[in-house]
Amino acid sequence: MSQRKRVAAVGSQTKHFRRSQQVVLDEDDGDMSLTQPTSSQVQKARENFTPVQVDRKVAEVVQFILIKDQKKIPIRRADIAKHVIKEYKALYQDIMKRADRTFEQVFGLKLVEIDSKNHIYILVNKLQPVPGEPISMCPGNPKTGLLFVILSIIFMKGGTVKENVVWNTLKKLRVDVGEKHEDFGDVKKVIIDEFVRQKYLEYVRIPHTDPLEFEFRWGQRAEKEVSKMKVLEFIGELHNQEPQSWTQQYREATSVETSQR
Amino acid sequence: MSDSRRRVSRGSQEESASHANGMGGRSRPDRAADTGDEDDGAGPSGIHEEDDDPARRREIRSQYRDLINSVQQNREDMLNPANNKLIDVLEEANKLFANVRQAREAALDAQLLVLATDLGREKASQLHAEGSSFDPSAFAEHLLSFMGLNRLEEEEDDQDGCLYGYLPPDAWQRLSKRAEYCFRTAPSFHYMLGSFLAEPPPPRQRVERQRKAPSKEAKRMMPTQLKKMEESHQEATEKEVERILGCLQSYYSDDPQSPISYYEFVVDPASFSRTVENIFHTSFLIRDGLARIYLDDSKLPCIAPVEEGEVEPGGAAARHQCVISVSPASWREIIEAFEIKEALIPTPKTLTQEN
Repeated sequence: MSQRKRVAAVGSQTKHFRRSQQVVLDEDDGDMSLTQPTSSQVQKARENFTPVQVDRKVAEVVQFILIKDQKKIPIRRADIAKHVIKEYKALYQDIMKRADRTFEQVFGLKLVEIDSKNHIYILVNKLQPVPGEPISMCPGNPKTGLLFVILSIIFMKGGTVKENVVWNTLKKLRVDVGEKHEDFGDVKKVIIDEFVRQKYLEYVRIPHTDPLEFEFRWGQRAEKEVSKMKVLEFIGELHNQEPQSWTQQYREATSVETSQR
Repeated sequence: MSDSRRRVSRGSQEESASHANGMGGRSRPDRAADTGDEDDGAGPSGIHEEDDDPARRREIRSQYRDLINSVQQNREDMLNPANNKLIDVLEEANKLFANVRQAREAALDAQLLVLATDLGREKASQLHAEGSSFDPSAFAEHLLSFMGLNRLEEEEDDQDGCLYGYLPPDAWQRLSKRAEYCFRTAPSFHYMLGSFLAEPPPPRQRVERQRKAPSKEAKRMMPTQLKKMEESHQEATEKEVERILGCLQSYYSDDPQSPISYYEFVVDPASFSRTVENIFHTSFLIRDGLARIYLDDSKLPCIAPVEEGEVEPGGAAARHQCVISVSPASWREIIEAFEIKEALIPTPKTLTQEN
């Protein structure tokens, strides 16, 4: 009887111990998993740091994200916490909210979470490009065209396409993955490495295939950054057809537009 | 499923049973080349020795492999809804299958079937879609036109049409410029005027500090030393020049009409180095316009002081330059020629002695 009580007591103690251990672990591991701080922790943190200090942190986060976005590789929340927020982590929510607002109001950009499980963010333009106006003074980056072609094929083919379809179509455009290209260099590397890392494309193994085959899909960034409607419209222009003539694709494009609004 | 359909279409029912089931049964005797066992196999009819002819079987297998390869290579072609190449392939396979007796060849047949059904499924999905189908080849053609392809020849076979023509170098840029509108990309952030490389330079600072300490002390010493030296140098030259001017003026005033030979004036028969110094110092007098050298009737140089009133500040027109050089040999020649016995410019030592 007493033994059981003791065991129970020990049990609850270990539970306590384990929980505090848990917190310590969370702080120690590089991932800095941000378990929700308690409101008292947040309050205490707000008192510990002056508003000026917090302002500075917000500015640092904004700058960090802007620089990270140069390569268009999505930014992990863990990186932001580890490199910028550091000891302010109890105020993470506050800081991120303010950073978000800064992006919208100062830069006209939106900080979008493309992976809610792993907390990965990208920056998207809040402003819609206007058809008459030039988007930038720079000459077009040829990779944009290449990406457009691949995304178009995937979209028009229903969302998934075997890799060979892409390779064969590119070959017709004088882009041979076996050869070095004038504008793109190692084309295959650009497509299955760079575009995939930037989350514009997904390059997925088809199970039970022998020899190994892969298929392409739209990546998480493409879903947020690319307008299916505009793609369809351009394809319509090229084919001299109305976008509505591709009824399935048109349906999908309109549903995405409405859901994103 | 299509297996049985094919059997029916061929109408060889006997073989169908034996082949459908016999495949399993055949696998056992497949190991052995002996024909004896085949009679005991599941399929009772049509098993002759010629069925086991290795050369024939090899041929069949090779034909199957060719067919499989052609399907794989021409996949896009097969998918084209405009033709029935897929059906041709199936018919070809049917013909081949007529001669298949053993499992190994049949396995190839099965493999071909997998490919064909896959293509069939995809072809069917193209038809499913309501509205227009999307053909990547046509898409490529339209893209090439957009990018500014210059088609040199009219190609009738549109499959090869893409390979001909000249694509301008900015083709992809052209496409990109239009395609950008489909994206809502955040413009990349870059500092307008570049940025510093945020590398802290503590090592450089340390070195600088070390160097600064000794140099400061050295500097403090140097001005006092230098000043002294400068003064002494300047004094010496100036004094010497003034002294020579004095000599010249006194000689001239003794006898203003008689010209003073330049050689007689500067040459010191006792010392070559003194002569050079005299030439050096008198050149200052000439430069400053305090004395002038002119050629007399015999074209020999003479030196005379410039009168107070004669000095023209803007007398650049009258000024000439020349370079005088003298060697010990020519110095001795001059002494001989002019019979110079003593220096007209007394040396400072003799002066002090005199004084």
